[in-house]
Amino acid sequence: MIRRPIQPLTAIALGIVSLALLLGGYTWLAHRQHVQNPDDTTIPKWSQLMDGVVTAFKVDKRSGERWIVEDIKATAGRYFLGLGVGLVGALVIGMLMGCFTPIEAFCYPPLSLLAKIPPTAAMAVFFVLVGTELNMYVAMIAFGVLPTLALTVYLAVKEFPEELQFKAYTLGASHTEVICSIIFHYVFPKLLDAARFVIGPALVYLIAAEMLVGDVGFGYRIRLQSKLLNMSVVYPYLAFLAAFGYAMDYGLRWLQRKWCPWFDKAQG
Amino acid sequence: MNLASPELSLHCRAVNHWFGRKKVLFDINLRLRRGQFLGLVGPSGCGKSTLLRGVVGTHLPREGEILIHSSGGTLVPVMGPGRDRGIVYQRYCLFPFLTALENVALGLMLDQTSIPFRLLAYPRWCRMRKEHLQQAAEFLEKVRLADAAHCYPHELSGGMMQRVAIAQALIMKPEIILLDEPFGALDEGTREDLQKWLLTLYQENTRAIQRGESPPYTLIIVTHELTEAIYVGDRMVGMSQLWDWKKEGHPECPGATVVYDKPCPIFEPQDAKDYQSFARQRDEVRRAAFDPKVIMDRNEYVTYWKDAPV
Repeated sequence: MIRRPIQPLTAIALGIVSLALLLGGYTWLAHRQHVQNPDDTTIPKWSQLMDGVVTAFKVDKRSGERWIVEDIKATAGRYFLGLGVGLVGALVIGMLMGCFTPIEAFCYPPLSLLAKIPPTAAMAVFFVLVGTELNMYVAMIAFGVLPTLALTVYLAVKEFPEELQFKAYTLGASHTEVICSIIFHYVFPKLLDAARFVIGPALVYLIAAEMLVGDVGFGYRIRLQSKLLNMSVVYPYLAFLAAFGYAMDYGLRWLQRKWCPWFDKAQG
Repeated sequence: MNLASPELSLHCRAVNHWFGRKKVLFDINLRLRRGQFLGLVGPSGCGKSTLLRGVVGTHLPREGEILIHSSGGTLVPVMGPGRDRGIVYQRYCLFPFLTALENVALGLMLDQTSIPFRLLAYPRWCRMRKEHLQQAAEFLEKVRLADAAHCYPHELSGGMMQRVAIAQALIMKPEIILLDEPFGALDEGTREDLQKWLLTLYQENTRAIQRGESPPYTLIIVTHELTEAIYVGDRMVGMSQLWDWKKEGHPECPGATVVYDKPCPIFEPQDAKDYQSFARQRDEVRRAAFDPKVIMDRNEYVTYWKDAPV
């Protein structure tokens, strides 16, 4: 039967098996590579990976800082600022578009066009417009996520049942109250859902930009170490990125459950 | 009757409505006394919901006017939705992000406070909030849902949701409560429970009148069920596009109009539904509003103001 439920323990066991297969597969691949070439650094062994992690965490002689600390500071600062600007902008634009038809008519065509442009392809435009400092990273992430998020919010507002809107008016609500106290609450969990989906793309835009013009950050470090074939540093960095993405996703889901406990079950 | 009389809650005067070339409502004239429970019936597509939207104020009629009794004691035209008219829909009857208690208290919050007040006078707002929740709890008790106060709508059954929705409308003490096929999606048992519960509200009206007070609840219930309209209402209005418009010189049907308006027998909540006693009135409404073979003068069964006790 399609979608037949399974026991929670079975689901956990299957998840563990799939991860074990992934790690086992990597171990076998690294072993085979090192049989052919004992000095290989492209598919490092677990011991080499540990050395890479130690390198990332130890104080760098030239800069006097730990790579991982300065990279996290740079990348996380750019990421959260860009994502924050994108989310707030998308919420405001999406809500206004969903609530006011002239704004919908004005914003929908450019927004749906901009949503189709990959921000990484338009990187040169950002260099020209905002330079290569922090603003560029923020603009790139915000530009990358805003159109899609704004359209998601806009569609969520349009889905808001008009019966509930009419009812709010009969309960004495003003237009501002309907937007801020009713529609916003209805849309907010959907915005959190949409934010979960842009965690990955936002990271892609940032890492790509850092690879091109950065002098610090995850993208810069990965590019530099890849050039040197120091994959023992690159793989742990990729693992950090995956862990960060997973933690963000988990955090947003937790916030959604905490702030909007009605949402999951009401969606059926 | 004097239109300025506080006894009149609603007056639809020569209401016409159309969508493009499609004519929907024609010359709707309807006066509703305070304390009346009016069952509005008619075939699908006859404009019952359009009329209801006109009364709510979300879709105003193209011609004619709908007047409602205002707090100043006069009849004023409906210009848009307002807190003097409560509405209960069949679907989307509650705000999904609020518990039953918060849903009932929402109207008090929206009506008595504003966003700046809630932000700038936060301690006062907290005190008011407590009072609102207390009042909401009393109304939930009235609809026998005190135990479900902290449940979200998705945790309630259809019947419970409709009761919360009615409490949400009642707490605002509106001039009229409009029920748009409120029990259409419920099973027979739940529907009958809610019908009996509406009769308890009617009983409160009767008691208020006996005490010489103004009856607290005036209600229009739009329904497909003729039996429900007769059982719950003290008056039934039938709308239909099946009337003799040729006799009035119209080249084509100018829209649905009121073709039936008569008092209904009044039941007590403890009375059993006696289908036999409904039979004559059901047949009359069927003939007047639903039977395409019977085309008659639209005033033939519109006799409420002649028949009704003053």
